[in-house]
Parts: sequence; structure tokens; C-alpha cells
Amino acid sequence: MALDFLQVREKVKAIGENAALRERQRQNLREEARRLLDDNAQEVERLREKIELAARSYDPTLRCALPVQEPLNAAVPLPELPPIATIIAADGSQINPDRNAPVDYCLINVGAIQMVHGLPDPPAITLKSDLFYDEEMFTDAGTITEGMLALMRDLRERTMLAELAEQARPPVITFTDGPMELWGAKDGDMAGGFQKSLEEYQTALERLCEMHVVTAGYVDKPAANLVVRMLEIGCKLTEDELVDVKHRFPLRGVTDYDLYRNVLKSGERSAVFAIQSKSAGNYRGSLALHFFYLNVGRPGHPWLARVEIPRWVADNPLMLEYLHAALVHQTRIMGSRPYPYILHRAHEAAVVSFEDKEQVNQMIAMELRRRGVPVGEQSQKQAVKELQGRTSFSI
Amino acid sequence: MTAIEIGRLLRAGTAGFVVGCRVNQLDSPSFGALASVPLGDGYKIYGLIYDIRIDDDGLVRQLVTADGVDESVIADNRINRNVPVEISLLTIGYQQGGRIYHLLPPRPPLSLDVIYLCQQDELCQFTAAGRFGYFRHILRARDLPVGELIAAHIRQAHQAHCAAGKKDWISSATQEIITLLRDDYVTLMAVMGALGDAVVDL
Repeated sequence: MALDFLQVREKVKAIGENAALRERQRQNLREEARRLLDDNAQEVERLREKIELAARSYDPTLRCALPVQEPLNAAVPLPELPPIATIIAADGSQINPDRNAPVDYCLINVGAIQMVHGLPDPPAITLKSDLFYDEEMFTDAGTITEGMLALMRDLRERTMLAELAEQARPPVITFTDGPMELWGAKDGDMAGGFQKSLEEYQTALERLCEMHVVTAGYVDKPAANLVVRMLEIGCKLTEDELVDVKHRFPLRGVTDYDLYRNVLKSGERSAVFAIQSKSAGNYRGSLALHFFYLNVGRPGHPWLARVEIPRWVADNPLMLEYLHAALVHQTRIMGSRPYPYILHRAHEAAVVSFEDKEQVNQMIAMELRRRGVPVGEQSQKQAVKELQGRTSFSI
Repeated sequence: MTAIEIGRLLRAGTAGFVVGCRVNQLDSPSFGALASVPLGDGYKIYGLIYDIRIDDDGLVRQLVTADGVDESVIADNRINRNVPVEISLLTIGYQQGGRIYHLLPPRPPLSLDVIYLCQQDELCQFTAAGRFGYFRHILRARDLPVGELIAAHIRQAHQAHCAAGKKDWISSATQEIITLLRDDYVTLMAVMGALGDAVVDL
């Protein structure tokens, strides 16, 4: 038995006993959040100043939405897609370093799909597979880690978009899965690697900006509370309470998803917000990160995505329209599961399966043996893990 | 005439084999068509196409729930994606040392062997060899739509023979089927019914 189900069951019972009460409380908070959104819809300037004050004076790590220009409760209807538009999506996956495996290496695989909306041509697929072995796995701080590999993968996705966009027929709309912000340890051993990757990432973004390419990060089923946090600070806390902003969450439990799922109709997007965060300083000027929510669901079945965009897209109404229309069009291709078709295809192209990994293992081992180089062995730990599972027997 | 490649062998047994192909190769093969697998040294296996199968996958199942499917999405799924198309063939004979046998072959083809569609002259050559011994293999395959398969094959073979000036081939073939099925009235009626539909406009 892998779990003590008796212990788990006790906890599940306790969860069930409180569920109805908790749901009622949360529903009240959701309604309050929606009321605050409507009542303060035009208070863009005041809210921005208050949040900037809170971040500047009391919590430099504050992460929330920052109103820009549109009313907070804006619901922008679905615009038209241009008759012809190039849409490119990139996604990546990796084989992490594995010290338990006979051969230690790592690999990044990035796939991109390019389709031209308005033409019947099949999309073009681009793949780039980079294998890292031996010396290539050493860094200034030791050896390459899973986190660093993920960072390199994210960087390569955006770089591939920039390379493909250069040759593409305008207007060009590009996106990746997940937030646009590059994630990785900013302190400690990885700090140097992160800084270098960040600079290359900024360069890729600048290239996209110079080419007037629309770019975005698509976050499916977002769980963040960026706008709710903005309402908490801007509308619930008094100026005096801002001192304690780090510990005050009057709308805790309410997410942006709760806030917008009944505000936005099918195909509509929310107002565009800037992102207030400690790392926002990494993306300045035209690269400054913004976002909006988009209802890609059907009437009666709302489904929200958060779409992260750089400032050059946020400031350009036509680019914003193209992106809005392209994303809704892409999600509708998938019928009852609204997710951009092109992102799913990029994932299909990039994903490294267990069988792929085994094949690369064998390729490296065979090549080493052919050249008389000894090949390592699988760790005993891994070998016993792969033994056939325990079988029960009856008396 | 250039031989038309219809795919490569996925799996095989003595009595039949399955070929995999890309969707864009799917224009040529048709139900009831004769195909061959050349295996070198004059050894060649013949099979009759009795099933063309297009499997679905998760994405295709999802796409059919949409209101409409863009042409580029259809092209993407047919050309770029690994949509599995399988063609099943019933082994009906082989060629060795320049002679055609309507018997099961000594050994089946191997994985990734190339399968070609037989051209009209080869179809005539195979069907005119011997005395329709290959009909046995078709009539024995009770799990297959025997009547439809024979009808589709005879229609194609008859057209090939007519083009070669042998219009009476179909009479001999039909007579042989009646003889082989004389004790199986139900199957005979099914085969003759299908045959009647198949050759009515020829």
C-alpha cells in the first residue's frame, strides 16, 4: 500500500465538512471583488498611484496588476482577423541531466509551427535539437541543472520565433505557452547564468519589436490574482494600512479567473494591465510586460486565458486586435477544448518522449563503445527502481 | 509505365500482410486492387487489398468537435502529422523463377519491404496464370467481405483484360466462382449479387 488511506480519509472528511461554509464565504468575496471592479472602473490614475506608492514605500516585492488606460471592467469584443496573417508558435522540451543513467547528458528540443491564416497551405514545422555532453555540461558554478536547462529552453523558444518571423509574411503573430517573463533563480549560483540568458532573451524581444512582430505568452487556466491584488490594495486598504501591505489580503481566495469569468462574454478580452513586480525592472521601455484576460470559451461555457504581451503590442491597437482575433480563432479550431491549435502542434513537435530519450541513450552508448570508450552503468538505485513491481499472493 | 509505390510493410504472416503509408500516398490503392512485394532474385509476393484503415487520434477527435475545420488544419493533419494509414492485403500467390503460383508463398515479406500497385499487364498476367487457383484464398477468408472483394477484383481485372483484347476472361472467372461455390448457395448468391452490381456498366 503506497498511502495510509485511513489518514487521508480523515482529512478528506474534514475538508468536506467545511466545504459548504468556505464556498459561501468565498462567494461573498467574489461578489465583493466584482463590485469593486465595477465601482472603481474609471479610477485608473488613482489606483496606479496607490499601487506605485505601496511598491515603492512598503513592499518592493509586490506583484499585482497596474491599470494602464482602459476602464478596469472593460470588455472588448472580438475583432476581425486580417485576411492574411502569419501565425507562429514555439514550444520546447528537454531531457534533464540524470546522474543515475549510464550516460550523463542533457538535451533541449524546440519546435515551431508556422501557418498562414487565409491560405490553405499546410503549416511548416521547424525543429532544433541541441545535445549537451561532457564539457558542455559544466558551468561557472558547477554543472548544468534542470532549472538552467529550462531557462535555456525558454530562451531558445523566443529566439526561434524571432528567426522565423524575419522570413515571414507580415503581419506576423507569434506566441509561446506560459508567461513571457523568463523564470529562473536570480540569486545564488544561477545568478550569472540567469543574467546572461535574460540579456539574450531581451535581445530576442528587441528583434521582434524592431520587426513589428506581435508576440505573446499564453497562460491557460490562469490561477493568479494579479487584478484581485490590485483591488485589495487600491480599493480595500487605507493609506495607513499600506504599511502592513505584505500581510493584508482582504480578498484572499478570490482569483482573477473568478473575477472575469462572468464579466467577459465569449471572445471578449479584458482591459490591458501592466505587471507590477520586482522583476518588472528586467523588462523596460517597449519590452515592459503587460497582460489581459481573454474568454476563449463558448457562450455559457466561459474559459479564461491570461495573455502576456510586451508594451509595444499593448500600445498598438492594431497589433492588439490581431493578437486577440488570432488567439480566439486558434482556440476555436480545437472545438470543445479551447486551446490554441498551433500551440498544441508546437508542443507535439517539441515533446521528447520516453522512447526518444531511450534512443538517444543508446545512440551515445553505442558511439562511445564503437570508439573504445567505456560507458558508465546505471545507478543501483535506478536499477532496483526498475525491477518488476511487488506481486501479492493469496493463501 | 512506372510502378506506383503504395507503402512499406508493417507486419506480415503467410496468409496476409499490412502496409503503412502516408495519407498523400492514398490516391492510388483501392479496395480489391492487386499489389506485389518484390523481394529480389525474382521472388515476388502478390496480395489483394481488402481493407484500408485510417485510425484516429486524440487531436483528430478533438478537431471534429469544432464548427468548421480550416483547410490548412486539414492539410497539417494529413501531411505533417503521423496519421496512421494501414492497408491490409490478403496473400493470393507468388512468383518465383519467372513462374506464377496461386499458392501461399514459402515465406512472408519483411518489415519495411516496399509494396507496389500492379499495373494492368501484371494484373492480366497474374489472373490469367493457371486456373483461378487464387480464388480459393479469397473464398476461404470468411472474416472478409468476400462478395464485395471478389466483385471489386473481377471488375478491375476484367477492365485490364478487355484493354488487352481478352473480353471472355470474365466469363471463365464467373464460371469458376460458380463451380467453387456450388455447395454454398448463400455465399454464391452474395458473390453473384455483388458481381452483378460491379460489372453492370462494363
